[in-house]
Amino acid sequence: MSVHVSTLQARISGESTASSPLSTEEYFVNMGPQHPSTHGVLRLVLRLDGETVREVVPVLGYIHRGIEKMGEHGNYRQFVHLVDRMDYLSALANNWAVTMVVEKAAKMETNERIEAIRTLVCELQRIQSHLLWWGVFGMDLGGFTPFFYGLRDREQICDIFEKTIGARLTMNYIQPGGVMFDIHPEFVKDVKAFLSYLKPKLVEYDALLTENVIIQERLRGIGRLSAARAIALGATGPVLRASGVAHDLRKSEPYGLYAQVDFDVPVGTDGDCWDRYWVRMEEIRQSIRIIEQLIDNIPEGKTFLVKPAAKIKVPAGIHYSHLETARGVLGVLLVSNGKESPYRIHCRTPNFNNLWCIGEMATGGRIGDLVAMLSSIDIVVPDIDR
Amino acid sequence: MSDESIAVPELSPPPEKHVGTGGALAGPVPWIDKSGAVGGVFKGIRSLFTGMKITVGYLMRPSTVVTQQYPENRETLKLPDRFRAQLAFNHDANGYHKCTMCRICEEACPNVSIIITGREKPAVSKKELDSFVWRLDSCTFCNTCVIVCPFGVLRFDGTFESSVYDRRLLAYTLNEYAGPVASVLEKIEDPDARKAAMEPRDPYGGHAVIEALIVKQKAKKVAEKAAREAARVARVAAKLAAAVPPPEAENAG
Repeated sequence: MSVHVSTLQARISGESTASSPLSTEEYFVNMGPQHPSTHGVLRLVLRLDGETVREVVPVLGYIHRGIEKMGEHGNYRQFVHLVDRMDYLSALANNWAVTMVVEKAAKMETNERIEAIRTLVCELQRIQSHLLWWGVFGMDLGGFTPFFYGLRDREQICDIFEKTIGARLTMNYIQPGGVMFDIHPEFVKDVKAFLSYLKPKLVEYDALLTENVIIQERLRGIGRLSAARAIALGATGPVLRASGVAHDLRKSEPYGLYAQVDFDVPVGTDGDCWDRYWVRMEEIRQSIRIIEQLIDNIPEGKTFLVKPAAKIKVPAGIHYSHLETARGVLGVLLVSNGKESPYRIHCRTPNFNNLWCIGEMATGGRIGDLVAMLSSIDIVVPDIDR
Repeated sequence: MSDESIAVPELSPPPEKHVGTGGALAGPVPWIDKSGAVGGVFKGIRSLFTGMKITVGYLMRPSTVVTQQYPENRETLKLPDRFRAQLAFNHDANGYHKCTMCRICEEACPNVSIIITGREKPAVSKKELDSFVWRLDSCTFCNTCVIVCPFGVLRFDGTFESSVYDRRLLAYTLNEYAGPVASVLEKIEDPDARKAAMEPRDPYGGHAVIEALIVKQKAKKVAEKAAREAARVARVAAKLAAAVPPPEAENAG
């Protein structure tokens, strides 16, 4: 397999492929890095022929903070809180990914209660993330109201987290060896109240956006991504599942308590924007199912089996483990030399691979649909740059 | 790169229809068939009205408003106990703390937000805390210091209004006094001697500690540099001495 490398300059100065009986030529438009629809500081260089998108080149690096390099200078416990800042909408899943690899490598033990709490909060956060996405998706399509409703309902999950964890966004809750605090005494009551609140709201969401003909016509057949190309590009999460590939690490390599709960993996058929929309809406319902099965059956036990030590020693070697965040597979590769801080730590983040699908989706499409496609990938830019 | 060269792994076949497999939760998959241009327009208008019914419904029910009138509701606004807003020191009823200056929190802090200095002349025990400086401006509120502290000295509290006009005021001294820990103080019988061992500390004295530390570090760096320079000069001199033999030696040869 050969790798073709080209610079942005070479692409811009490439030959024009404008096709029109009139004398037209291609032009370039910078979308971002300060564009409200790029969800952060992402720059897309668009090669346009009239309204048709010929090429999309994502340009990265505007929010690179060197999280992986910073990880090499601190110990393992210090690295956990840094990954909060990658995909901030799945901070708990990010914590869990690092925790998982450290626990696996250092052979730390957990109990059922810890795993149950981790599974519960991660599913709550998946709902939270999808609710925010739903609101922003509606806003990107031109309706401002969904944004209010999505954020209003997400706020309730944030309040639940605030009570148990003490933070709303960058939580640093799941720690190697356990979870930072036990759940709040009111946690079970709050979660149940929230679920009974959210279920009628989902019906309302469907009436507002899902069943809206304008939205459906706007999304169907737009930004198609075939299963083969999705796999080739390394897409994971709802983007991959919408293309018809039933791949979910919660099912195929169950971690936490996912092996004990009953849930389905929603799968799309066409891989268009509508399928990605529908898969995420369905995932909210599946997460509700998971939480409902677990919320009354949290086993008793400690939240830290041993008193958390500030420093953890991981045996020398290469360790890897991965899990499913709200956006796809987050893998953490850890190269240890037996010391207190990692020799090298690398994160395989879902958003990076999902972003490159935009080229496949948008090429040949219209520029008006590009925002819908970008929003349907549900990217979080700090996770791409790290 | 064409996708022919990439082998697609064996996967479960995609379902024929979108699976709405949420059990009782999932509603019917809303498939609206295309009914021509005119029908489409009418359906578009209808779904527009459906959406408007929801939004107007909220307009009619002010009880559903969730907005918090923040500066006005300060009296009633209460954040959860665990909310991480400001790091605080646990002082007991007598005003004594349990910090033994073990520096575990200082080492565990990922961004050097905790600076602990010991008393130069401890009154009673070997090591006594002078000031425990916490820098809010560089803190990421990760809570690691709280969980690693072996004596339960630290906690986060919900005093969230921490804006100041001068950023130097964001370095807080958390301990109320410089002196020995609670267990040592309780052994001292005489209340006056107890008081004498404790020296009050101002919460806003943190910046002075940081500046003193910077001055100290700079002085240390200067001294190190001077020592390095002296060592280099000595090395060069030795090298020169070895390379060029003294003239007396030549004469003797």
